[in-house]
Amino acid sequence: MRPKFLLSGFWVGLAVSSQASGHHSFTAEFDGNKPVKVTGVVTKVEWQNPHVWFYVEVKGDDGTVTNWGFSGGAPGQLMRRGITKSVIQPGMTILVEGFRAKDGSNNGSGGRVTFPDGRMVFTAGSEDKTPEDAKGGKP
Amino acid sequence: MRRPQALGTILCAGAALAAAALFAQPKPAAIPRTPDGKPDFSGTYEWPKAAKGDASCKCSATVFDRKYMAPLKPGGEPFLEPRTGDPRHDEPRDFCMPAGFPSGMLSANAMQFFQNKNYLTLVHEFQRMTRIIPLDGRAHRKDIEPSFYGDPVGHWEGDTLVIETTNFKRWSLDDYFYTDPKEYRMHSDAMRTIERLQFQDASTLSYVLTIDDPKIFTKAWSQAFTIKARPDWDSTGLYEYICEENNRCPGGQCGGQ
Repeated sequence: MRPKFLLSGFWVGLAVSSQASGHHSFTAEFDGNKPVKVTGVVTKVEWQNPHVWFYVEVKGDDGTVTNWGFSGGAPGQLMRRGITKSVIQPGMTILVEGFRAKDGSNNGSGGRVTFPDGRMVFTAGSEDKTPEDAKGGKP
Repeated sequence: MRRPQALGTILCAGAALAAAALFAQPKPAAIPRTPDGKPDFSGTYEWPKAAKGDASCKCSATVFDRKYMAPLKPGGEPFLEPRTGDPRHDEPRDFCMPAGFPSGMLSANAMQFFQNKNYLTLVHEFQRMTRIIPLDGRAHRKDIEPSFYGDPVGHWEGDTLVIETTNFKRWSLDDYFYTDPKEYRMHSDAMRTIERLQFQDASTLSYVLTIDDPKIFTKAWSQAFTIKARPDWDSTGLYEYICEENNRCPGGQCGGQ
């Protein structure tokens, strides 16, 4: 991921893993055939091991509010790539693209985050399924 | 008659020289060495990576490629074990149990090695796994309980460090279950591993891992990996990895937000 990050300046690799547990994997927890795309306001960021989690409050057209939780890589993996916890902060409005949890909950892998100014943070790791995979853009 | 004989001799000698040049192990120009002349593996590294074209895993880890494995032993212990629905069995790492060796060693996180005359200490950022390898010629410890990471001892064969590890408890072999979440690949409590570590060049280690598990396989098998040195990671070193910090499955009871 490093070259891609360096080239684009916006792409940031995280190793995605669990939805509701300690440490585990994309395949075990997320459904690669169920992409999810939501826009909302970040309410909380857990910059903790084993996986970073961030939560997004999403307002539907009918006014209903849904809270989504997205997981990313371990803080150390991210920091080694130059990504600090300031990348995603509470109050930010973000677009998250990822994959839904297999259990049908409002959790997911945060495959990619886009900020209002167009910056994109690639929130999936080099060996995990990403929105690019779903488009056939990555082996 | 003399002429052809002479020509044959010359040709044979030429072929021998060519073969020697082809297969000769070029001595690494300037590998780091300890004061007593042994290769010095101290430094910061990436995790072991499989050769190009080998099987991969969308799971932030390197996994073994089935093509390198020996045939399964008829009537042996099961290699593939289905999930049962019990998280304690199905995915112990969900609630922060150890990855064990060799699985944890292959996780996609940074490693830092520290070496002196008597020990090589391997610290892996994933789960802050620490392996302390005695290099002083001692034998394996006796009468200890089988463990997740086994009991390693190392010795030198020229510039190659050979690490033999025994006394494992039965545990998952690698992260294969992230590829096929229905099944695990297990190793038995009879597994013995041999790691052969040497400099391939000044910034790359050759890492050949042999799995000798007579309860599961008909014979020992090996896969070769490479480990890249990352001196650019030296300045920050390893980061803390306390899985329990945000464990969503304390005691195996998995919860949501």
